Amino acid sequence: MNDDYLWDGSGEPDPEIQKLENRLAKFRHQGEAPEFPRISAARQPRSWRRLVSSNWSFGLAAATATVLFMAAFGILWWSQKPSTNSEPGWDVESVAGTPKVESSAFGGNAGATKLGIGQTLVTDSHSKANISVADIGTVSVETNTRLRLVAGGHGHNRLALDRGTIHAYIWALPGEFTVDTPSAIAVDLGCSYTLEVDDSGAGLLRTKLGWVGFKLDGHEAFIPAGAVCATRPKVGPGTPYFDDASASFRAALSKFDFGASTPEERSAELSRILAESRQRDALTVWHLLARVDESERGSVYDRLATLLPPPSGVSRDGILRLDQKMLDLWWNQLGLGDASLWRTWERSWSEAKS
Amino acid sequence: MTDAPAPRPADDSSLVLAARQGDRAAFGGLYARYARMVHGILLARVPASDVDDLVQDVFLRALPRLRDLRDVARFGPWIAAITRNRANDYYRQTRAVAAVTESLPEDEAELPASNTAPDAEAAAILTFVRSLPETYRETLILRLVEGMTGPEIAVRTGLTPGSVRVNLHRGMQQLREKLNQAALASGLVADSSSGRNAAAQGKNSLRRRNEP
Repeated sequence: MNDDYLWDGSGEPDPEIQKLENRLAKFRHQGEAPEFPRISAARQPRSWRRLVSSNWSFGLAAATATVLFMAAFGILWWSQKPSTNSEPGWDVESVAGTPKVESSAFGGNAGATKLGIGQTLVTDSHSKANISVADIGTVSVETNTRLRLVAGGHGHNRLALDRGTIHAYIWALPGEFTVDTPSAIAVDLGCSYTLEVDDSGAGLLRTKLGWVGFKLDGHEAFIPAGAVCATRPKVGPGTPYFDDASASFRAALSKFDFGASTPEERSAELSRILAESRQRDALTVWHLLARVDESERGSVYDRLATLLPPPSGVSRDGILRLDQKMLDLWWNQLGLGDASLWRTWERSWSEAKS
Repeated sequence: MTDAPAPRPADDSSLVLAARQGDRAAFGGLYARYARMVHGILLARVPASDVDDLVQDVFLRALPRLRDLRDVARFGPWIAAITRNRANDYYRQTRAVAAVTESLPEDEAELPASNTAPDAEAAAILTFVRSLPETYRETLILRLVEGMTGPEIAVRTGLTPGSVRVNLHRGMQQLREKLNQAALASGLVADSSSGRNAAAQGKNSLRRRNEP
């Protein structure tokens, strides 16, 4: 039996799917549309034809014309008046203490301000803040954090986190919100995550929902919900892992990414990682394919093939030569998200830089 | 299975533009078209008892933001993103930022009050669907619960048809495995007690999955 019935209800009905449909139909949406409030909209211009054809007296019409003229003038003046709401930048409110935007402290009675493009927000050991990221999400800023708004609006919203901790909840389209850190760029792909940067510039990204891309030059990592990825200055993102991985697996991975000083040490840590990997750790092993020497790639391939058999269209030879299409096909097999999202963002990123 | 044709982007655009001008009927049209998708996305993440209220909340949140929608033809992906975020907020508000399955109390599956065999069985199946990876469970709920076709899911969520088809295929494969493991697949359960047992198995399966 093929998948046509599952796909669009055509073809030979699958009795098992029909049974599931029947059982689950009780949960189907059945609500009536609520009474929606009217959106305040610009008043439509009234037609002159209707005005002329009305039975109003000339005097009333003249008075109306005067009022309309004054109203139009008023609207024109008002529309050209600078508005505080239209100022570029994001709204920031103090959650605790008195954070600062540039040198201006806010909090208490003056608990909110704007973070303009190029401006820096600093929290000390007693202060915290919340940022409304345009209309696409919020960023909670923890204590002892320093960040800067690099760009905002038009699908390009960018922060630079110099140090400290932020929690981002973003509902924009993938790739519209990025955070620069001293050692990698975090790219939101539809998610909620926490990003920490210490004084040395090393970072840690923990995804709670959805997934995040982490990138520096050609080094990249995909971090789905429940996974963690460390990053170091001049090295970039390490290999992501699920935070329920064993302690020895995580220790070996940390040494492999940032601690091993000789190829032999690195090779020994790789063996330990592969030996300790569970099925769920296919996430990590997939990333290792592009991070190991060519001579070691075969063993990584073999381990990944055991944890998650390669899908149709993926060959050992192709993976050993790091065929991008095959790597993406195998990634999609993990069921953690579609690699095309990330590739689309990469293309637009490259075009924006060129 | 629905007979409703998948919407054309142009149709959404005109409804969005009219709704922006204050046309409540146009927004009602968008609601009629997308309520099932919003419902399904929420059902994949939050307890079923709260989903209906959240559906209305999502649309009420979206209404004043319509002017911020840059590409009016992409209303579907836009409100899908708002919906996922609303589900996130649900857990933030209840101090349990986690997968929906993790937050279900020990004794609270989706068992309805009637506790009849079909109801208990439906609750058990839903629990199994919601134990699947996020990508699969959302697509599968839109297909099996909301009755949307694959092409319709693709048009409304903004996913590629290929991705939807893959998600349906793999999600169904995993669901079958889980149902088989729970001895639900063949004939499903026949009495309410076994239905409740199945629900319990579903919850245990989730618990195992979430244990470190």
